[in-house]
Parts: sequence; structure tokens; C-alpha cells
Amino acid sequence: MATLSETLPGLKAMACLAVALLMHPVASEGQVAVGADPNPVATPSDPGMPYVYTNWKHLTVAEGLPNDHVFAVKATDSKVWIGTENGLACYDKKTQQIQSWQEEEGLPWRVVSALEIDPSTGDLWIGLFGGGLARFSGGHFEHWNQLNSGLVNDVVYGVAIENGNVWAATTAGASRYNTETGQWTIFNEKNAPMEEIWNYGVSTGNGKVYLGVWGSGVLEYDLATEQWKDYLDPDGEMEIDLYRDDGIVHVITTGTSSADGILWVSTYFGMSRYDGRNWRGYYAHETGLPSDFGNAVKGRSANEAWYATDRGVGVVTDFATDTWVTYTQDPATHGGKAVVKRGSEVVAEISLDRCLPHNYTLCVDFNGNDAWVGTSKGLAWAVGDDYYVGLKKTAKESK
Amino acid sequence: MRNLLFPILVLLLPALGITAEPESSPPSWQPPIPVSEHTMEVLRAINEVDAYATPNLGLKQDASYAETPSDVSPFRHVQAFKQHFLEQLQYTGPGRSKPEPEHVDSVKIGFIGPIEATVSVATGGRSHEEALGQMMLQGAQIAIDHANAAGGYLRRDVPFELVVHNDNGLWGASGNELVDMAYKENVWAALGTIDGANTHIAIRVALKAELPMMNSGDTDPTFIETNIPWVFRCISDDRQMSYLLVDYLYRKLNFDRIGIIRASNRYGRFGVREIRDSSRRLGKPIVLEMAYPVGGKDFSLQLERLKQAGAQAVVHWGDAGDGARILNQMRERGMDQPYYACDRCVADEFVKIAGDNAEGVTCLYPWNPNRDDAQLAKFREDFRARFDEDPDTYSAHGYDGMSMLLWATQVAGLNRAKIRDVLAYRDYAHEPWQGVTGEIKLSAVLDDVGEVFLAKRENGKWNFLSRDDLDLPRGYTPARDRSAGEDE
Repeated sequence: MATLSETLPGLKAMACLAVALLMHPVASEGQVAVGADPNPVATPSDPGMPYVYTNWKHLTVAEGLPNDHVFAVKATDSKVWIGTENGLACYDKKTQQIQSWQEEEGLPWRVVSALEIDPSTGDLWIGLFGGGLARFSGGHFEHWNQLNSGLVNDVVYGVAIENGNVWAATTAGASRYNTETGQWTIFNEKNAPMEEIWNYGVSTGNGKVYLGVWGSGVLEYDLATEQWKDYLDPDGEMEIDLYRDDGIVHVITTGTSSADGILWVSTYFGMSRYDGRNWRGYYAHETGLPSDFGNAVKGRSANEAWYATDRGVGVVTDFATDTWVTYTQDPATHGGKAVVKRGSEVVAEISLDRCLPHNYTLCVDFNGNDAWVGTSKGLAWAVGDDYYVGLKKTAKESK
Repeated sequence: MRNLLFPILVLLLPALGITAEPESSPPSWQPPIPVSEHTMEVLRAINEVDAYATPNLGLKQDASYAETPSDVSPFRHVQAFKQHFLEQLQYTGPGRSKPEPEHVDSVKIGFIGPIEATVSVATGGRSHEEALGQMMLQGAQIAIDHANAAGGYLRRDVPFELVVHNDNGLWGASGNELVDMAYKENVWAALGTIDGANTHIAIRVALKAELPMMNSGDTDPTFIETNIPWVFRCISDDRQMSYLLVDYLYRKLNFDRIGIIRASNRYGRFGVREIRDSSRRLGKPIVLEMAYPVGGKDFSLQLERLKQAGAQAVVHWGDAGDGARILNQMRERGMDQPYYACDRCVADEFVKIAGDNAEGVTCLYPWNPNRDDAQLAKFREDFRARFDEDPDTYSAHGYDGMSMLLWATQVAGLNRAKIRDVLAYRDYAHEPWQGVTGEIKLSAVLDDVGEVFLAKRENGKWNFLSRDDLDLPRGYTPARDRSAGEDE
């Protein structure tokens, strides 16, 4: 057991001051500069500033994680579950203690690639990278794999839960397990519009299940009608995106996340947002995305989503004004910075004594005002006690 | 006398007030084999960074993806909002800082390929690629033999060891195998595989597990179109070969109506895609594309439809046996159209089944096995000595791919990220890999974009013809120059 390392005293206050200083000239002019975005989103004058996380804490092996390579994170009000390349961990926010499980403690396989909690039972469902699916309940692990169940493959990339059904996105299709009846259903090219069956991510929301499929874009399963719908890049070409906003930017999809009726999508070629009628594509060269290589996405609302990339985290903080906050670590100092952008235009840059533990980010989750980012060198906890939604006129007002 | 002079001088130097600087020992990362100055720069850069930094090395930039001629580029009249695959991908994770293990008895390199007969959904029913996989494995084994004969892994004085896995089970089997290799057997890199579906599944695992993966047998263009910085391919793909065939069919032979018959699996489906798209973009759309079940016996339905469509020539994409049976049935039906086929048909099995019908067939091929090359001759000699048979294209490419992995491991040390780096940052423009299959030059997305050939069956043997041999220009060709008016 180990305690969490704390941030330097006064850091947050210093960072907020920096925001205020940086923003003052802009605010006094009564408007925020609009960048050279060739397709700018309509930007009202002085739309205000987004919330910038300035209080970051790290959980690493030094704090008690079984491994620093964090593939999955699932946060609740009291606990944060962490899936690593060599074990499962749980951080108790109240006691600040970490408990971990490896194969010796009954974890069926060392590499934990996905985590989800059944809201009706509190059970933890665990996707195992090459080890199948597990349920952690009452201190015991139950294990399903492709030889003893209807799990279509043991390489599980994502897990999601709806109405007592557990969905597993595997490298050879998706499986659905009904926890009440024990019935398994397999979805692949035979009963779903999967040109390729290499499922990469699964999420639920808005009465739908969304599969992010490597090579098949996004597949939407309507729970009421039990019908599938596919979303593909309309140009049909791997080497280009002909028009940015004509659909999903690419079919090599890595993650999906539904929030407030909005679907957020990550790919290895850029990101997308879909409101049910219109698509918006995001690329690094014209937004706050640090990279087009998106490992995962987590939507927080219709206006806010966090994209985990190989070069940091890009956060759409206000969709309407195309406002972003980019969080990166400085590899030399291990400090970091948050850059506020409107489109590609830098609005403010805030130095942070601590930000991400590494820029190679793999997963994101939220609980309350806090955000959690899994990286290949530990887990980041962005503390947002005074977090606010959208934009505020000035940093001072935001306090 | 000279032997005594040096100790005397060393003793005298302090007395003369001259202090000899202790000779600085070479850095531990210095490679045990000679490498170019460029590779030394790469080694310096990747060994200087810690877990958090990314080495500051120039990224390859390609002017066009896969050297695609502009007149067969997709949507060429419109500037695409975003073009992919032009800039080399970086690995930005912390893997370079992982220390080498203190003790190793051998340096394990993985092999995954279709080497056992199974029922495989991925490959279109009953598996059928074992013959190819076995040849690829044997080529890889020769590379291991050669490396071990030269001292094995020189830093530790231990042998290289091949860790062999079968791939062609149900969809996804290759993923499980890769997980075992990466996490249980601790291989440092892996070679494989042949089937496009199994390969895609394997490289997705390689990406998450951060394992360098070399491909020497999957010519599916989409293999490299996944943006994974951990994968390499040392064989020219169906895209490259298709561009040559399209040029030949339309620019050289001036055909207007091409028909396609292909296997109804991923290999067939993706193999013909560039031919189909390029034909359409050149204003000569494929008149008909017919699929057949792998291992089929009766192709009369497909052939009758192609005949009715008025195909001037037929392109086949599938396995050698199927290709030969289709050719025979074409000729039996009185269809005398020229027959073109993918590289899998340049095989003894094709010639044996097709018999006299093989004469005049033109196939695509990713290299020229007829060229005079001492390294290739030695490879063939060693292969025959060990396996009592001749190597094929899968053996030769397997040898090259494994040799590249062994070289990278020897140079970089026991660190997967660094093995990846020395392969990725090699200056292929000035330092192409000299393989038994010829010079291998990797593009920005680490794909082999080297010379490809047409294999013409003439007088009972295959003759391999390059673009230069065929007098076919490279890149964009104005419409007025497309046809040389040659009749076949």
C-alpha cells in the first residue's frame, strides 16, 4: 500500500494566476482572436475561457500500481479501477490506498485492456488482452473465454454494459452476454454489417450500442429495434479524407463514446463528432488535437470530449466555439502545459508544474469534476474541484 | 623491440609531466557489427532519450503514397482535405527506456504463419496456405542458421531462437498467438504472416504489445494502411503489382474490356481492388468481376458470364491450383483470351495443372528470381542442402524479412522499441536492404515500394520483365502516350 504523491503547494494558484495574466489583454480588447482556420466555426466575440485543469496528480508504480502501462480506467465516486499491462488495481479515493491483483491473486490474465462496472450490481467487468472476459464480484474472479463460453475471441479490446447485457469488443467480432439468462450472442460479418470484424471499442448510450471497428468504421446497434446501422468514410479510400465533414474521417476506428445524444469517435487518422445529422471531423493541424493518432475518446457532454492520443490529450471543451485545451508533458522537465485554442489559434498557454505522467495516452474516464487519463507511464488524475461547463468570460470570473 | 617500447613510454610519460588520458571505452550501445554512419546517428539518438522523450530524428516524407501515378489516384481532380501515409509515423511511448534483461539463454524471434492444416474462416473455409507458410518458415530458418553460424547474438554470445506459431485457425487465432509470443515467450520481434485477415489481427496485437512485426508474405495493400508504427513489410504489395499490370494492359496492349475472376476470400477481394479502381479511373472500367469459392472445381458459371460480357482478357486473383483449373476450363470452352494472374500463380503447381495452357500466361511478381546474384545463389544452395528442395518466393522473402529483424536486433540490442527504430529510421534511399529478393526500400509507411515485375511464361520458363524491359514509363503518363500500340 502506498499513498498518492501530492502536487506542490500553491501550484494551482500559480497556474490560475498565469491564466489570468495571459487572458487579461485578450479580455480587455473585448474579443477573442479568431485563428486562421479555413473553416471556422461561428465564434461569438469574447466567448470566454474554458476550464483548465491545473491540479494534476499521478498514480504510478511508485505509488503502488502493479505496472505503469495503463490500458484502461474506470472511475466511480469512491474508487478508481485501473487496468494495466501486468495487473488490475483499485485506488480508494478516501483512503488514498491502492490494492492490486495479478495472476497470483486470481486475475485470469495479466493484461487488462478494458473495464466497466455494471450499475445494477456493482460488479466489475474486465476485458483481458488475450485472456478473455472476467467478472470481479465479491472478491472473486469469474472467467469466460472462447473455449468455455460464447466469447468469440480472447483478445478483448473493449467492454460495455446495457440492461444487464455485457458487450465485449474482440478481435474477431463482438459478443453479448446476458447476465440474467446466461445467453451469449455473437455479432460478426454474418449478422452485422461488419466488412471487417476487428472490433476495437464498444460503448453504450442514447438507446444504442456503438462498436468501433478497425476497418469498418462505427456500427450502431439500436436496442429498441435490434437493427444495425454502419457509419463509414464516404470517400471509401484509405489514403485520403476527401471532405472533412462528410462522415467519419476514417474507417480504422479505435473508440466511440456517446454523451447527451452526441457520438464522439477516435481513429488513428483523426477524430469525429456526430449529432445524428451532421458530422464534424477533427485533425491536429486545425484544432487542439496534439496528434491525429487517437487511442481512445471519452465524451463528457454534447460539447466536451477528451481524446487520448500518442502525443498528449486534446479536449474539445466547447464544441460551438471550437475551443480546445491541449494537455502535454514536457519530457525534459516532466512539467507540462495546457494550451487553449480556438480552432488552430492559440489563445492562452499555461505552464504547469505537473500535467500528464507521459504523453502517450491510452484511455480517459471521468467522475464528477475529475478526469482520469491512463498513459503508458502511469495514471493521471486531473482534479477539478472548481470545474465548470463550457466557457466563462474571464479566468477571474471563473474562480 | 616494438613490444617493449610501448610500456616504457607509458612509464616515462608521467615523469615527463605528460598524463596519458585513459582510453575511453566505447559506449555500451555500440553495435557489434559494422553499420553506416547514419545508423550510428540513429543509435546515438535512440540511446540518448529516456522514457519520456522521442528521439529527434528526421521523418521520411513521401511526395505521393505508394508512388501512385496521378492518373489513377482517387478523386484526382479534387484536392483531398487530408492525405494520409505521406509522413513516417513515430513511436512516442516509453519503450526505449526498458532495460535489457540481465540473463538470456537465447534471443527469441517469433514466426507466425499458416503451417498446419485447419478449418479457417479467415482464409475461406478449409485452410489452403500451409504450403506457402511452410516455405516461408524454412526461409526464416535459413536466416536464423546464417545468423547463428556468424556467432548468434554477439553482445551476449547466445544463439538466436525461432519461436514458431501457426496462424490459420478461426478468425482471431493469430491474435492469441501474438499475445503468447509477446507476453509469455518474450520474443523481441516477429515475422508473419500470409493471409490478410490473420495479418491484420496480428498487427493490432503488435501495436498494443509494442512488438516489431515484419511481414514478408501478405500482399494486401491495406496491411500498411493502418497507421501502425510497429509494422514493416519487405515484399511489394498488390497495389504496386496492380499498377504495373494496369499500365501493361491499357498503355501497352491497349485493351478496353478486362474481366476479372477472383477467389471469394479476402486475398481475392482486396487483391483486385486497385486493378478495378485504376481501370475505372483510366476510363476503361472492368466489364465484369466474378468470384469463385476457394478450391472450386467447376468455374463454368463464372467463365460463361465473362464470355458473355465480352472480356478481351481475363485477370485471375487467387491460388495457383484454382488459377490453373480456371485457365484449363477457359481453354476447354474455347475462350482464348489472354490470361493474367497474380503472383501466387508463378508456381510449379500452376504449371503442372495447366500443362501446355500455361504457355503465354503473364503473372505479376514482386521480384526477379532470375537475376544473377551471389547472395541469392548461396541462399538457394543452403536451402537445398537443408530441406532438399528449391526455395520459392515465400522462402526468399521470409529469409529477407527475418534477416532484417536479426540485423536490427543485433544492432539495437534487446529492446523492442529500439529494434523498431533502427529498422524504421534506416536510410533506405541510400542504404537499401540488400536482400536475396533484391534491393528493399521502405517507404515512409515502412512498406516495400521496390521494383515489381511481369512474369511471362515463354518456352516453358518464366521470364521476368521490369518496367524498363517493357518500356513502360513510371508515374503520370499523358493519355496520348498511354498506348504503344503493341499487340499480344
